[in-house]
Amino acid sequence: MNVDVDAPLIERVKRGDTRAFEMLVVKYQRRIERLIGRMVRDVDLVPDIAQESFIRAYRAIPQFRGDSAFYTWLYRIAVNTAKKALMELKRDPLVSETALASRDEDDETSRVENELSDGETPESIMASKQIAGVVNAAIEALSEDLRQAIVLREIEGLSYEEIAEVMNCPIGTVRSRIFRAREAIAQRLRPMLDARAGDRW
Amino acid sequence: MLDESEDGARSLLGLSALADGELDPAATRQACSRWHGDAAARASWHAYHLIGDVLRSDDLASDTARDAGFLNALRVRLAAEPVVLAPQCVEAGAGDMEAVSDRRAARGSRWSWLGPAAVAAGFMAVASVLVVTRGNAPLEGASDSLARSSAGGSAVLTAALPVPGAASESAANAPDEPQTLVADGKLVRDARLERYFAAHSQFGGSSALGVPSGFLRAATTQAPGR
Repeated sequence: MNVDVDAPLIERVKRGDTRAFEMLVVKYQRRIERLIGRMVRDVDLVPDIAQESFIRAYRAIPQFRGDSAFYTWLYRIAVNTAKKALMELKRDPLVSETALASRDEDDETSRVENELSDGETPESIMASKQIAGVVNAAIEALSEDLRQAIVLREIEGLSYEEIAEVMNCPIGTVRSRIFRAREAIAQRLRPMLDARAGDRW
Repeated sequence: MLDESEDGARSLLGLSALADGELDPAATRQACSRWHGDAAARASWHAYHLIGDVLRSDDLASDTARDAGFLNALRVRLAAEPVVLAPQCVEAGAGDMEAVSDRRAARGSRWSWLGPAAVAAGFMAVASVLVVTRGNAPLEGASDSLARSSAGGSAVLTAALPVPGAASESAANAPDEPQTLVADGKLVRDARLERYFAAHSQFGGSSALGVPSGFLRAATTQAPGR
């Protein structure tokens, strides 16, 4: 079994490729924000702390040796960043959004981004529910082969090799089934995502 | 047209495999370039992971505007960070320096070649002093390897010189370039330097002087020992 599915991207980041780090951010931002959201009550602080966590991870990545999975490592950084932010808040309860970091010049922009990325507006809660509904409906509509392949990968966390064994087919077939499953779901999702994409990727 | 869409599908297949950590390094590099330049690839990368997250838990569903806003805000902060470079990875793939120089060029740093150039010149001086003062029998091996290394040093210099202007071009369409640089890299960094780096976990100072400064120090501390 793969030790870390992120190893290829981590290698890229270590070679100075920030694009690879951006890809990791897109991959983990939702999980990291949910984690922080469970620790910090002030929802306005969640994106800030998540950002700070990713920045710290980026700075520390040369020291990341791959002894644990990247996500485990990132998770620990996020927990520590959130704890530190909570302690600072306790010390200075009046300061909220900008209590976090040593960034002066960014405050204006990040304040705007906070408003944009606030997770608690009725609209975005609605959008999230719709997205979840579309994904679940699309999964139901998949053929058995495709559904089994993507479930074994995403929910059971099996490697392609293991899935090939379970499904008794070549690894190339596993790769293509998972891809086709993702594309089938993404196709239903795209009109909705595109319509809401105020910010372009 | 058909070729184009086939190519697009193949690259998305690669992104899908990369999302699962099942892509080889060369293809990963291509996928990263694609992520940088292709909005459809970026949207697909987001969609694939969003799908995975929602499969695991409905409360991870999130809309694109929110996620893209998060990344855009982070980009502003990342741009202010020094570029990450872990030494062993630079050695393994010297060609990937192009990604760094890409960023440096983007920031308009026109003098980034000065660091390596200065260090290479300094190293040449050290090498020639050693050759002149202690150039005979007992040092044959050392001066030999130093001469080889200094040839490598100037190779690095020439490789570094054209970087600011040509960076984006080479990132886009020169898959062959890394091989030459890797060959140069081997000349510059022999096994003893690697052991030295491993022993000292050398990170080599600032990003501008990163690799070459470590290389210079290693050369000066090791050569007399031979």
